[in-house]
Amino acid sequence: MKKTIAILTVLVMISLFSTACAQATPKPAADKLEEILARGTLVISTDPAYPPQSELVENAARASDTKCASDQHTPSELSGFDIDVGIAIAEKLGVEACFVTPEWTMITGGSWANRWDISVGSMTITPERMEKLYFTQPYYTTPAAFFVSADNTTFTQPGDLAGKKIGACTGCTYDAYLAGTLSIPGEKIVQVVDNPQFMGYETDINAIQDLALGDGLRLDAVMTALPTGQGAIDDGLPLKQLGEAIYFEYLAVAIDKTHTPDPVPLVKKVTEVLKELHAEGVLLELSQKYYGLDLTTAAGAYDIDSLDQYP
Amino acid sequence: MSVETQFPSDEPDIDPSMGEALQAHKNKVRLIHTAKIASVWIALVLILSIGLLQLRFDPGYVGEHYGFVMQGVLTTLGLSVASIAIATILALLGALGRLSHNSIAQGLAGFYVSLVRGTPLLIQIYIIYLGLPQIGTQLQSLGFAHLGKTLTLTAIQSGILALSLNYGAYMTEIFRAGIQSISHGQREAAISLGLTEWQTMRRVILPQAIRIIIPDIGNQFIAMQKDSALVSVMGVWEITYRANRFGRKDSKFMEMFILAAALYWILTIVSSWIEERLEKRLAHAYER
Repeated sequence: MKKTIAILTVLVMISLFSTACAQATPKPAADKLEEILARGTLVISTDPAYPPQSELVENAARASDTKCASDQHTPSELSGFDIDVGIAIAEKLGVEACFVTPEWTMITGGSWANRWDISVGSMTITPERMEKLYFTQPYYTTPAAFFVSADNTTFTQPGDLAGKKIGACTGCTYDAYLAGTLSIPGEKIVQVVDNPQFMGYETDINAIQDLALGDGLRLDAVMTALPTGQGAIDDGLPLKQLGEAIYFEYLAVAIDKTHTPDPVPLVKKVTEVLKELHAEGVLLELSQKYYGLDLTTAAGAYDIDSLDQYP
Repeated sequence: MSVETQFPSDEPDIDPSMGEALQAHKNKVRLIHTAKIASVWIALVLILSIGLLQLRFDPGYVGEHYGFVMQGVLTTLGLSVASIAIATILALLGALGRLSHNSIAQGLAGFYVSLVRGTPLLIQIYIIYLGLPQIGTQLQSLGFAHLGKTLTLTAIQSGILALSLNYGAYMTEIFRAGIQSISHGQREAAISLGLTEWQTMRRVILPQAIRIIIPDIGNQFIAMQKDSALVSVMGVWEITYRANRFGRKDSKFMEMFILAAALYWILTIVSSWIEERLEKRLAHAYER
């Protein structure tokens, strides 16, 4: 008994130290892109909380022949639009895709400490995020919309939600829209709801759950991505969309500005790769597979150079 | 006051059959008592289950998908076992520091306990996962490249470090109390036998103290298994993370969270059973 515990403890310690050492000895590379190509893996962050963009796969086996580190996940363990886009980018770069799943706020906050290389997480390009992250060519767009309880009869258009309790994820673009501070480069934003009462949630899905409890019980409406709300309705939740899409978001791959070595060549390379994937119709095919809609063409036409990101 | 000294007479006044009957009666009373408690438990579980079914709880969904969450049990256990092992070492050092006559050791141990016990575990996890790399970047820019990189811990390493530090602080006080509970006579006896201070601690005081604090360590281990759920914020695929993210897929939160809760419950029941066995084993020498 004592021996087993001792052996177990030693094993745990050894594994901890070996991973620490493995990380501590990278090969010197001129820039991040070179480092990734030398390493042979592209470490992608995703939060599998948003099907159909990213979700966990049941009964998935970890790929046996993989260069991914032990605390990273192989593509077989996850599925979704973002995951497939991530894999397509890695393939174009000629490396293996590996996934890590930190909380969303840790991804958007920047300062990734080189733990992962890129975020393929349906991240909207916003001026605040541009302070900490570089964005590539967007790979698709997402319409934002309001959802209300299916039982409700008093709301006929988004403007009717003035002063009502509206749930959305804290720190995301819906939060900013409801606070009246959202600006999306390349998109005209119109405030359609006066004085909404914002109710913050960890993710949109929690807000949708609360709305599904009953009309006005905890929430009067939820603001979320049109595909996310539609997915909840398809799952049988008693909700309906209120009016048309409010605005479009451009969703792009994000790369930490504090990356070492220099991340700029990587950003340019991924933009190039995404333009190719747009031109080859790969992204459109994926969009139709997961959403049954063309959400990508507008993203392919987006002028990324207008963002003027590099110093 | 007169003292009557009466020696037992030749014929024994002990009736063995009476003793047996008394024992049998006691056993019967105990059995009935246990049965009553068990039926209360069963009734409560039944009431809870009926309540859940009223909440549109779908037991079939749990039956189909429990395997995915179950895969997190090993991660949760691994995290907890590694952390309690390191926490025990920290706690021992902390307790020795608090009890030492060296003012620096006392100050260090006291500060550690006060600081770590006085701040929330979740914040400690964030500081270790997100804050340490920032210090690392500073160090790297100052030229300590290797040291700087080492400060960027992976999610699992950060989790183990945070849990160990946190529980080490609580357990320092447990160890201190355990060591102090050993009578001073033991120490004097050991010194008079010529043992050094370290030998006294290792051979005389600690073996006795460990027996006393085993229930508390078991308690901490149980609490740790549940607190390890906080590690899910860094994206470690343990029980809570798997239940939470999987529940999102089909909007079956209640099903997955209740499954996760049940798994934690079973884990803690097993742990407390093991702890009881260990306690009994260590108590052998004291049995009469």
